[in-house]
Amino acid sequence: MRCPLCGIEVTGGAPACKGCAASKGCSLLRCPNCGYEIPKEPGFMKIFRRWKEKRDAAKRQG
Amino acid sequence: MPEKAECTCQGSIDEELDGLRKVVLVGSPNVGKSVVFGNLTGKYVTVSNYPGTTVEVTRGRARFGSVEVGVIDTPGMYSLLPITEEERVARTVLMEETPDVVVHVADAKNLERMLHLTIQLLEAGLPVVLDLNLMDEAERLGMRIDLDVLRSELGIPVVATIATENKGMDQLREAVLGCRRHGDGVPVRYGDSIESAVHSIGELLKGDYGISKRTVALLLLQDDDILEVVREKEASDCSAIEEIVERTRKGFSEPLNYIVTIERQRFIGRLMEKTATVDRSRGTDLKEKLSRLMMHPVTGIPFLLIAIYALYEFVGVFGAQVAVDFLENRVFGEYINPAANRIVAAVVPWKVLQDLFVNDYGIITLGVRYAIAIILPIVATFFIAFSIIEDTGYLPRLAMLIDRVFKRIGLNGRAVIPVVLGFGCDTMATMVTRTLETRRERVIATLLLALAIPCSAQVGVILALLSGNVKALGIFVLVMSTVFLLVGFLAARVMPGEQPLFYMEVPPLRWPKFSNVFTKTYTRVEWYFKEVLPLFILASIIIWAGRLTGLFDVVVNILSYPAGWIGLPEEAATAFLYGFFRRDFGAAGLYDLKNAGVLSGVPLVVSIVTIALFMPCIAQLSMTIKERGLKTALGMAAFIFPFAFLVGYVVNVVLNGLGVIL
Ligand SMILES: Nc1nc2c(ncn2[C@@H]2O[C@H](COP(=O)(O)OP(=O)(O)O)[C@@H](O)[C@H]2O)c(=O)[nH]1
Repeated sequence: MRCPLCGIEVTGGAPACKGCAASKGCSLLRCPNCGYEIPKEPGFMKIFRRWKEKRDAAKRQG
Repeated sequence: MPEKAECTCQGSIDEELDGLRKVVLVGSPNVGKSVVFGNLTGKYVTVSNYPGTTVEVTRGRARFGSVEVGVIDTPGMYSLLPITEEERVARTVLMEETPDVVVHVADAKNLERMLHLTIQLLEAGLPVVLDLNLMDEAERLGMRIDLDVLRSELGIPVVATIATENKGMDQLREAVLGCRRHGDGVPVRYGDSIESAVHSIGELLKGDYGISKRTVALLLLQDDDILEVVREKEASDCSAIEEIVERTRKGFSEPLNYIVTIERQRFIGRLMEKTATVDRSRGTDLKEKLSRLMMHPVTGIPFLLIAIYALYEFVGVFGAQVAVDFLENRVFGEYINPAANRIVAAVVPWKVLQDLFVNDYGIITLGVRYAIAIILPIVATFFIAFSIIEDTGYLPRLAMLIDRVFKRIGLNGRAVIPVVLGFGCDTMATMVTRTLETRRERVIATLLLALAIPCSAQVGVILALLSGNVKALGIFVLVMSTVFLLVGFLAARVMPGEQPLFYMEVPPLRWPKFSNVFTKTYTRVEWYFKEVLPLFILASIIIWAGRLTGLFDVVVNILSYPAGWIGLPEEAATAFLYGFFRRDFGAAGLYDLKNAGVLSGVPLVVSIVTIALFMPCIAQLSMTIKERGLKTALGMAAFIFPFAFLVGYVVNVVLNGLGVIL
């Protein structure tokens, strides 16, 4: 995921998250470079996207 | 390397790659590394997690003319000083896999930013080939790069490629085959103090790191976790090294990472002048022109105003009028509140306890109603609009714009980050001020956040409050930006300092994608709700307790004086008190008053300005105390509180004096 503010590619959270009480169930990711809060993709969207990617790939092959 | 044995999936291909010339591809994400890798290797590749991590590394075989080579594609890295897990793994690959050639795949159109890594790779003593990929995009932007000059200045092979069209791949293969290990190619010097520290540390380092001692020393000075590796590899103890690091750091007021980056940037700036030209007349398509206009300190302002206006229309009209009206007046006003009142009255015999749940300030009738009927629709529409703006790539341009304005008032560009973040949540932004280099910047940014930057929830409710009144919106924006610039300017004068560089990636503008906007809005609303509902309930309880003990009335009474001076009805004082629990809670209180018809016209604008300036919420205040210390925090509060009312007073007098009718 790309940080919409500074443009760095982000996967893990920032160290700042460790100190936060709400970090367990938090659906935001903090950019380790600039601190911007990036919304994580919700689980159901991930499944949907994977399904779509697979379908598209299948289409291209077939 | 003992870790390798643990990963069986990797063993076979590694054995296969054994004895082959090893080519490692590195580069930041999205520069086309995977495409280059695919072009070179073809079908037979293995993907595996790097031992002990979830980060993937891809390996494959390739035939370069008559020579067979092994190619490794690494996760994206921006710098040898890692921020992310991916970067850490990429660096470990470089250190442990003894590459015969390192191909730095770079985005040609962002050459300047890319060269930071090239130089670090050279410093590391690695045999580097620079691959300027995405050459088609660079050309489209009118960029011309003199490869010969770049080659001679850096002393390494440089090739230009368009990986997606398979162009330049033969030259890349040739360059890789022709590349020999370089000595310490060290183009950049970092000043006497750092250089002598690098030298002394280098003498003390005895282990084999796979990268130059100069690089290890520089990383140590820049506060890198490579210290753990060093502790492991050095047989004797490292206290002498750590001492040098400590001593050198003490000699600078800024972090060494910063000094090093600036020196590197200077070198790159000179190199860019010699090698790259941009033909402004060519290739500047509409998007590019638009992008430049958005970042220009003069033309950028109208774009910002348009963005604010669009936000306002959507949030103020749709969110605040249609949705809130429905939830507040219909759902809560007609059904939930009366029903809750009835049920609680029937079940709970004591009036005092009834008040905890229902009636004027109950958990259900106030806390939950504010959260669901007022805040939720407003914040949801705000998040939709914000996610759209975010998805177009406007935010980095806004940051560049603010940066340029900042420079004029004497503030450093990096302070722009917490300020932009503040529009999301001021509390978190206050925490991020930690990343600013000097104390001066940290104090100024914290003050601006506490004073002049309303958080997203508050912006949402304010836009809603101003709905249907563009003139009032204009006055609000004008007052807030004047305060922001004025205070920033004064603070910068009171605490003068130097102005360092600021660098950030500006991606191309694009149309927002529905799925992105949906995902972002959904996640933000969910997060907001999780955070906000319990707090609103808590606030209701505190207000209930405060009223019960009479404390609440005392505070409201005190607050009603300054409220009265700036021409506000007494009830507005209650909203100010709410605002302290959460900024948006206070704004929602004003919204309630507006709906009740108590607050409108000039007093409404005055109260919005005051509440927007007036108070950070409890969370932000405690964060300010934590980050800046009690004394500074109290000092700020002592300034902000009267200042907010003073501005409210001035706005009131001016508007009334001019006979403005809103
Ligand atoms: N126009 C253009 N696009 C490219 C070129 N090389 C790669 N791309 C595209 O850039 C994007 C990122 O490429 P990818 O290989 O995934 O980047 P990586 O993160 O560095 O591995 C993909 O959409 C590629 O199709 C190029 O030379 N020209």
